[in-house]
Amino acid sequence: MFFKPLDLTTALRPALLPDETLLFVQDAVGLYEGKYKIPNYQNGHAYLTSHRVCYVAVEEPRKYSVGIDLKEVDRAEYQAGFLKSSPKITLYPKPPKGSLSKSKSAGASPSRRQSPSLLAPGPQIQPVSPKVVNATWVCPICSFSNPVPSNFDPSTATASTPIPPCLACGIKPPLATILKAVITATASRDVPSSKTNSTASGLGGSVPINGSVSLPFSDNAQVSCPRCTFVNHPSLTECEICGASLVAPGAWKTTQIDSHRAESPAPVFGHNSIKSTEITDCMKLSFRAGGVQIFLERLKGALIQRKWLLYDAPPVPQQPSQSNSFSSPGLTVTALSEGNVPSPARSPGVGIAGLEQRGLQARKNNELVIGNAFEDLEALMASAKQVMALAASMRDSGMTTGDLSGEANAVLLESAETMGMVTTKDMLGSGAGSLYISELSRNLAEYLTDDRKGLLNKEGGIMSLIDLWAIFNRSRNGVELVSPSDFQKAAELWETLKLPVRLRQFKSGLLVVQRWDWSDEETLRKIQAWMVELREVPPTETVAWDWRIFGRAITAQETAQRFGWSVGIAAEELEMAEDKGVLCREEGIEGLRFWANYLSDTGDLGLSRITLDEVYRYTSTA
Amino acid sequence: MSAAAPPFQFPSTYSFPPFFTPQPNSATRTSQLQKWSALVQSWCRHHRTYRLTLSDAIESPLFYNAALRKRLSMKDARDVLDWMTKEEEEGGGGQRAEWLDGSSKNVARIWWKRPEEWAGIVADWVENTGQKNVVLTVYELVEGEGTMSQEWHGMDTDVMLKCLNVLVKRGKAQVFGGDGQEGVKFF
Repeated sequence: MFFKPLDLTTALRPALLPDETLLFVQDAVGLYEGKYKIPNYQNGHAYLTSHRVCYVAVEEPRKYSVGIDLKEVDRAEYQAGFLKSSPKITLYPKPPKGSLSKSKSAGASPSRRQSPSLLAPGPQIQPVSPKVVNATWVCPICSFSNPVPSNFDPSTATASTPIPPCLACGIKPPLATILKAVITATASRDVPSSKTNSTASGLGGSVPINGSVSLPFSDNAQVSCPRCTFVNHPSLTECEICGASLVAPGAWKTTQIDSHRAESPAPVFGHNSIKSTEITDCMKLSFRAGGVQIFLERLKGALIQRKWLLYDAPPVPQQPSQSNSFSSPGLTVTALSEGNVPSPARSPGVGIAGLEQRGLQARKNNELVIGNAFEDLEALMASAKQVMALAASMRDSGMTTGDLSGEANAVLLESAETMGMVTTKDMLGSGAGSLYISELSRNLAEYLTDDRKGLLNKEGGIMSLIDLWAIFNRSRNGVELVSPSDFQKAAELWETLKLPVRLRQFKSGLLVVQRWDWSDEETLRKIQAWMVELREVPPTETVAWDWRIFGRAITAQETAQRFGWSVGIAAEELEMAEDKGVLCREEGIEGLRFWANYLSDTGDLGLSRITLDEVYRYTSTA
Repeated sequence: MSAAAPPFQFPSTYSFPPFFTPQPNSATRTSQLQKWSALVQSWCRHHRTYRLTLSDAIESPLFYNAALRKRLSMKDARDVLDWMTKEEEEGGGGQRAEWLDGSSKNVARIWWKRPEEWAGIVADWVENTGQKNVVLTVYELVEGEGTMSQEWHGMDTDVMLKCLNVLVKRGKAQVFGGDGQEGVKFF
């Protein structure tokens, strides 16, 4: 398991891989490597995605951000908070590939296979603990609680694995029942196991690894039974009430690691960059502002779902017709040479008819994919990847042939892209109203600065907040809409989060969104340049004033047209320029128009100025 | 007012359309008012006008630019004169104007030279022409042949009296008599 360097988006969130979805975000999280705090990684956001656990520091996020691939994570354990210690989630790496035949999981990267032997030779490789499954399965016939056999391994179990019959009625259960039982047991055993874990490591004694473990005596560590929750004396290995084993396998493993550590402690993470370093035993996420339960829950969900496997998954079985169309070129040749081959597949091969036939087949295939996808929600989720690919291909074909309107095209594009990257309220930690706002803020910044859409550039680098709100909510396709107040709060956070967009309020109260490097000076410069230009171009009709000096008047409409702004924003910018003394106004029957400011003598604005009267100079009383 | 005088040369700002719109920006507005004040003063000076009747002047080229078809409204023109009456400390135009009809604000005296400035000019003239300790009537001073070449020739008597009062205060002159029969003796 490695700390991998992370690509961040413009809004300083981890850039997601294709197919990756964001599951949960929690702020105020710190990182530990083993038992050691990692400097500079103590206050940040933890992002749980379907593929990774990412950490992005609040301070200097570009420097201090790492990710861990979930496919390299064996399991996650919960450690409750105690006094000043925050609750933590411990991630254990998968054991080295060669040491146990058990890890059969597909999608393991080659780097993982090599890493232990290269970087952590010899004793660093920890033997994998025997898989003791402290689970019971309930017989569907007589509802008797049977223990799951200790040699049962859910990752390798198949229909042919021998399953013992029910102890009461003697009928073999279906494999699914036992699998379910094992998985629920794995998910629920973490609390007690981590408790024993901390006890053992606290004393630092070496503990025998074999089956008859006797934990060192400690007066405050009581062990609650994972099955019946009875609180047992810590020296007991089996529950007094129900007889379930009290020692979780996790405890053994950590104990063993800790004892190993005592002999040769790992280097303390004194150096700043932990990127690409290997995590030898475990890493911890410390949740200083809550959210640990949901994080754990979703992390386990992600570990069970193993979405990363889908990335390399084979495509959905093709229709038999597909092979027909592939073989058609060959048929074409024969058809041309022999002319009258009696073949049932002759028609799809030739000319326009062949192309049409092919198109028909492709459409049928698409129909099938869509049909399958919408059969039920489960199926939709499973074939989400395919549907996205289909949407993308439709988009592409739409671009080339033009049979899709631009708007529909954009909608398709947006819906596909926003599927992965939206922050919704249920994705965020408990009591994290502010976190939701800050994530929404980042989300918005990404949306705005996305080069593919170029939203802000299209609007001339500035757009009103209302417009953005409407466009943004429309792109969410009617789900998880953002309320105006949340939206405004999120926009107000851009400044503090140092994101590349800014919220700005005009004098009239109009709120607009602009790039961070956008400044009034920049706008003024643009307007002044335009004014200079106007002085050089003779007006179309004769005017009573000297256009060589004064140029001509501009309206908000003209300004909007020239700079690509909306008229409202153009009017605001003109008034801003007036406020700064660059422009002055003329109210007339034609409406409000603006001129370069020749009235004001103050300030050097780079414009040629004229003095009112050289002969009768205004004399101020000296 | 001499009809033979050359036509008034308007400043270039006069043909700048925004000149006729009151500016909301305070800095721009101040410069605008200064320019208007200078224009009004030079206009009055050119035409030897000491009192400006707003209702007449509003239709004159001073406030109405026929070429641009732009004019200063009665209210805006009054604002300009109002600004001129204020002292500079109050953010005004240095008392270059003075309302003569109280609150109706229609007739104003335009001080294109302040009384102090006039007093200095008169005192210099007296000095240069060697008329110290000579008694002159005010009428003589304003309308007399000896002052034909002087700038104040044809000035309103009451304006002249104000100027002379400045000299009196400085101890350089003494005014006596009254009811249009004032005389003045310079020291």
